[in-house]
Amino acid sequence: MDNQNPDNRGEFFDQFLDDYYAECDEHLVSIRRSLVTLEDEVDTGTVDRTLLDNVFRSFHTLKGISGMVGLSAAEQLAHHLESYLRELREGTVLLSDSGFQALVSGVSLLESVINARRNDQPIPSIDETVARLQAISSESLPSKASEPQTSESDVTAKRWLIEFTPTAALAERGVNVNSVRSRLQEIGQLIQAKPVVKGAGEIAFEFTVATNADKSALEADGLTFKPAPVESASRVKDSRPVATIAPASVVRVDLDRLDELMRIIGELVISRTRLEDQLTEVKRTTPPALWRSLQETNLSMGRQLRDLRESVMRVRMVQIGEIFERMTFVVRDLARESGKKIIVQLSGGETEIDKLLVERMMDPLMHLVRNAVSHGLETVAEREAQGKRSEGLLSLSATTAGEMIVIKIADDGRGIDRRLVLDRAKARGLSHGDTDIDDAALLDLIATPGFSTRDEADRESGRGVGMDVVKKATEELGGRIALATKIGEGTTFTIELPLTLAIAEALIVSVNGQRFAVPQSGVREVLEVESASTKVLENNEIISYRGKVLPLLRLARVFEMNYQRDEKFHVLVIGEDANEVGLAVDRIIGQREIVVRAIKDPLAQSRGIAGATELGDQRVVLILDIVALREFAMHAHH
Amino acid sequence: MPDEIKTNNILVVDDSPTMRRMVITSLGSLRTVKSTQAGSGLEAIERLAIEPVDLMVLDLNMPDMHGMEVIDFMRKHQAYRNIPIVVLTTKGEESSRTQALAAGANRYLTKPFDPRQLADVVGALLNAS
Repeated sequence: MDNQNPDNRGEFFDQFLDDYYAECDEHLVSIRRSLVTLEDEVDTGTVDRTLLDNVFRSFHTLKGISGMVGLSAAEQLAHHLESYLRELREGTVLLSDSGFQALVSGVSLLESVINARRNDQPIPSIDETVARLQAISSESLPSKASEPQTSESDVTAKRWLIEFTPTAALAERGVNVNSVRSRLQEIGQLIQAKPVVKGAGEIAFEFTVATNADKSALEADGLTFKPAPVESASRVKDSRPVATIAPASVVRVDLDRLDELMRIIGELVISRTRLEDQLTEVKRTTPPALWRSLQETNLSMGRQLRDLRESVMRVRMVQIGEIFERMTFVVRDLARESGKKIIVQLSGGETEIDKLLVERMMDPLMHLVRNAVSHGLETVAEREAQGKRSEGLLSLSATTAGEMIVIKIADDGRGIDRRLVLDRAKARGLSHGDTDIDDAALLDLIATPGFSTRDEADRESGRGVGMDVVKKATEELGGRIALATKIGEGTTFTIELPLTLAIAEALIVSVNGQRFAVPQSGVREVLEVESASTKVLENNEIISYRGKVLPLLRLARVFEMNYQRDEKFHVLVIGEDANEVGLAVDRIIGQREIVVRAIKDPLAQSRGIAGATELGDQRVVLILDIVALREFAMHAHH
Repeated sequence: MPDEIKTNNILVVDDSPTMRRMVITSLGSLRTVKSTQAGSGLEAIERLAIEPVDLMVLDLNMPDMHGMEVIDFMRKHQAYRNIPIVVLTTKGEESSRTQALAAGANRYLTKPFDPRQLADVVGALLNAS
């Protein structure tokens, strides 16, 4: 039947390609996560059975769906990976280091094969990897040396027999066998789940759960429970544990649909702003009681809109740990190829970030990691000669700070050699003859298009994405990249990205009659300043602020507008510590939620402007790019 | 047969949502059919408890409850004994064919499957019952 009209079948299954890629991604992420845990069990002779079951099933599913869409390289590769997993599961083969490495490279290749198809590129050959997998699968043990380990159960926990009878009414309320199971998994260890038929012929499910939680925690809709009989406890001991996989109550949503939803919410936000303006207009002509009640409705609508926006944003968020795990694999491969020893430290993997940002930042982040491994970290011999520990350290971390996510990629390698960079820049006619440059200027240099301190032959860290692309990608997403490097000690790249793209709180300010929006996340403090209290020092306007000197940057000057001095003006304090700058504006008009739109026309793009937004009166207002302004000020003052 | 055309409810059981969609779309050519789906063996049994099912398309290798256990359960209980089961499983475990048929599956098909063949097999089983 396989040869029956394959062409038609191809067309038929092409309509499922998007689903196919999405499901492949999910399985690959889950496999990688399991492999990270499995790595600790290499050569120990005991392997977590539940983990093996999950990986096995993922390969099995990948094999099935790859076959359906006609991607036979992926189907075969998944088949051989599955076979190896089956042997591990049955205990006929022990998880050895070479076996684990073969698994890892098999998974990487599987991903490349799927991506090649997705991007219409030639499918890489799988022969070598398949041969490797077959070789390790045949390393059978003379006898069954080890029993695969089942997840350990808490011996002090009490066992309960819980019965759930599903009905259509319960299902409508979202109470079903999956929801019950995940609830029970939260409060204890699920030992067994099986269907039974009761006296009257209706179906029920019996769950055996070991838990220390008291009876009240178990009580829920449609459940009856009793202590599990002792003999059943010993009987279930040999049975397979119930796999702890995510319940099937998860839906996949096309990102485009979420974008559409965000766009509509954005329009709602604008409409509400308009309503607020109109309410202010009619205040004088409206009976106070009526106006107050209108205003209350308006305000609660504002709160509800914020809730709605946050809920939708949450749907778009994914954990950055998925990317980190991918990077761990890249590092492992590169380290093996180059004979370096590298310890990868991950932290903050649970930090959530917008899916779109993850997709756009994937390649740039990967480039930084490759760079760190290829150029930053030294070989074992070099490190030992310098008295460093032989394993290089690469740390990937993520934290949130306000409305930003901060991603750090740090190595303790050789650091970037400024002299080499400057020589190279001079040779390329890029340098302005400086002999010493700070980290920011260094970053600017190496991020100049076409710049590279390595010979053309050493391209493995580049993969076509240079530092210039990394910087550009970050900035296009409203983010910022910084560099800190010290010879012999290492290099740290810090990338700040907005958590979400579309909507932000902003201060609306006016300069010379023109309005600007300033993202509130970047403003530390707002001051009212008397014009008479400013001083001029070396051609720079300054004020004293918290016992220090705060340089002022007149927005009117930045955008080359006229301004007259009023008695008083407002200052927005931006930046931190030594980099603090005061943005001088005429007036603060108010605080608004703004919908950020990128300015795509390159002619309209200008330094210091991050984008545009529309306020309630349908006039476009420019959004200031605080970080660029801060840099502008720093350069103006030095 | 009465004139009124009966709509047959087909329960599609597979842990892969993509695979479920492929199966359901393939069955779309049968006009008297509507489909419901389940992502695990346990879920499949729950669907049986909640609504009448006329035929089941069943994957074997699934979490929670193996497809073989689903067949055993159904064939053991009066209310589900006569529901036709089409096993649709990934090629490679040939021994499972005899096992599944012995346990009471009506037909055994392998993935990758041909959408027309699946629809034909399901249609024929529905007509026979």
